[in-house]
Amino acid sequence: MAHKLSPPDQWLSLHGDVLYRYGVARVRDSEVAEDLVQETLLAALKAKVNYSGQSAEQTWLVGILKHKIIDYFRKASRELVHEYDDSFVNTNEDDYFDRQGEWQVDFSLWSQPDKSMQQEQFMIILQDCISKMSPKMAQLFVLREFDGMSSEEICELMSISTLNNFWVILSRVRVQLRHCLDINWVGQ
Amino acid sequence: MLTCKETSYLASKKLDKKLTWRENIDFKLHIIMCGLCRRYASEIEKIHIMMQKPGKTGLSELPKSVKLSKESQERISKALGKVLQKLEATGNK
Repeated sequence: MAHKLSPPDQWLSLHGDVLYRYGVARVRDSEVAEDLVQETLLAALKAKVNYSGQSAEQTWLVGILKHKIIDYFRKASRELVHEYDDSFVNTNEDDYFDRQGEWQVDFSLWSQPDKSMQQEQFMIILQDCISKMSPKMAQLFVLREFDGMSSEEICELMSISTLNNFWVILSRVRVQLRHCLDINWVGQ
Repeated sequence: MLTCKETSYLASKKLDKKLTWRENIDFKLHIIMCGLCRRYASEIEKIHIMMQKPGKTGLSELPKSVKLSKESQERISKALGKVLQKLEATGNK
């Protein structure tokens, strides 16, 4: 069945917050996310004649936002390439392993949140941990995990030269994240 | 025998791509011997699965309390209004 669009002047109140949450979880900057919401709605206004009704209104808008986010990342990674390259490669990995390559962090027993309340709390802590990463690490992780973008696409988008480099970075992100969750979640 | 550092790399890569035959054997050998890495591997897998959830279930990654500020609502609404007016004026509704 074909979906119909509601009047454009209602889009903001109907979907503004959803779009904003989606955006801010990814770009991690409230001002940028606000701008992206605006750009998305403006682009939607222009594109509404082409709306085919195949997806629901909100899905359609989120789809436009996704493109805006990718454009933003593309631009940002072009600008940040020099600034972050170093921190990208030598993240303080030695905080987690000793010279022999053995763990030197504590491991507490980690329980998976099972209820939705816990799930929500977990997501807040997760966001907090992600924001402690270097911007590029955070971006890579979010694209991979929230958006399920393929590793190849992310490499291209973020100018990472090889898949091996990508996995090395992703692995460091996970070590760091697990440690952060260990401190902030397990203690609950 | 792999170090824990190398094993943590494979534990992470495993979530992204099937390990090669050789990698898989090395990984398993280490995991059998090393409780810390065993736990690490299972934890990051749980985190990985949990992070896929919001997208699949339509949940947001952030709580509902995260919202557009009043000011930005107004700003966006103004910007939209302008363009809407223009569109209406040109009869392109």
